[in-house]
Amino acid sequence: MQEIDFYRADSLDDLYRLLAETGGRVIAGGTDALVQMQRDAFPAAVVIDASRIADLRYIREDGDRIEIGALTTYADLLASSLVRRAAPSLIAAAETVGAPQTRARGTLGGNIANASPAGDTLPPLLALDASVTLSSARGVRVLPLGEVLCGSRQTCLEPGEIIASIAFRRLPDPSGSAFIKLSNRRGMSIAVVSVAAALALDAAGRIVEGRVALGAVAPTAVRSPAAESALAGEVPGAETFRRAARAALGDIAPIGDVRATAAYRREAAARLVIRALNGAWEHAGGRVGA
Amino acid sequence: MKPITVTLIVNGEPRTITTEPNKTLLYALRDDLGLYGAKDACGGEGECGACTVILDGEPVNSCLVLAGQADGCHVETIEGLAAGGQLHPLQRAFVETGAVQCGFCTPGAILAAKALLDRAPDPTDDQIREALSGNLCRCTGYTKMIAAVRRAAEEMSHVR
Repeated sequence: MQEIDFYRADSLDDLYRLLAETGGRVIAGGTDALVQMQRDAFPAAVVIDASRIADLRYIREDGDRIEIGALTTYADLLASSLVRRAAPSLIAAAETVGAPQTRARGTLGGNIANASPAGDTLPPLLALDASVTLSSARGVRVLPLGEVLCGSRQTCLEPGEIIASIAFRRLPDPSGSAFIKLSNRRGMSIAVVSVAAALALDAAGRIVEGRVALGAVAPTAVRSPAAESALAGEVPGAETFRRAARAALGDIAPIGDVRATAAYRREAAARLVIRALNGAWEHAGGRVGA
Repeated sequence: MKPITVTLIVNGEPRTITTEPNKTLLYALRDDLGLYGAKDACGGEGECGACTVILDGEPVNSCLVLAGQADGCHVETIEGLAAGGQLHPLQRAFVETGAVQCGFCTPGAILAAKALLDRAPDPTDDQIREALSGNLCRCTGYTKMIAAVRRAAEEMSHVR
């Protein structure tokens, strides 16, 4: 276990003050940070616990906008009927995180801050076109999630800045979203490949908004612009989804590692794109396989 | 490292310790409080669940919580389950069902199961499997554990 000094922040003001005074690093649920600390791999001499700041733990709805406080745990998400209705893809992702012990502590903000290429909630949040509110004693800035994730295990957070909340807009009906994670078993496993999709259809049943995001196939979780343009304006169904899946392969750069080879990841990614789109279509009220 | 002072309400009793700031809740329980029920099997990876305790009502891996993060919180450990010299129904069911072999994973598994029964007194087998999905057992296997949790749930429903 690495050596650290420890402070606990009980409010946002407290957190900003401690960040300014110590230059420390923030932890929340600790489900990733503590693993790293015990491997002497958490680059910080001072650790500031933010997990008890109640003002950062909420789920709010304002019209078609859903805002989730950074300290919302996976268990909180799973208990939210609002999130269940608005973002089944995010629920499906939260269900696959670790085990109940992980989901009771781990937070949505922490999943972003950890910036793992395989972070479970990142593809669904990207496919929901989520934005992230970063705040500091100096003020607030709002960035698309894709711009916050700037490399494998790297975020664009500046010193003194924290992740305060995550927000997305509910797509107009008929719409749907889905998430599929391929892993070695159902509990306690890291994604080999994960895919999230979101679809909104017009009155004629064509795709007005189609979004695809993939995890564990690039240095960060990524949107696939090529798949999304293959979907735009098209009639949903097997042919369209196959074209989107082929297009998505141009936007990923998987590596081989202990969990799978690069070739396997490409093959799996293509199939999962189709399945995730089918899931989103089904959730939007469409017929799968038609 | 500057030592920190932490108060944990362990099995209902406030216990104040002064300890190292990088101490996990697991090692605060073991080294500072002499409670050896929570085990370290995976070395602080959060993979095995042998260190599971109930923190403010939620099952957690105590190896992934810093002691300072739990300051002021309620911690339930296996040592607090038996009351008045009587084993908790879950403990008795684990013994009587043969859900214990080497016993290393047992405290964590029982606390994960208790966290389930605290909120879902009549769980389905799927809910029991899900509740135990973070607790690795390498000798007994899960069939008897699931049977034990079901049996304890039934017994506890008669008591109510």
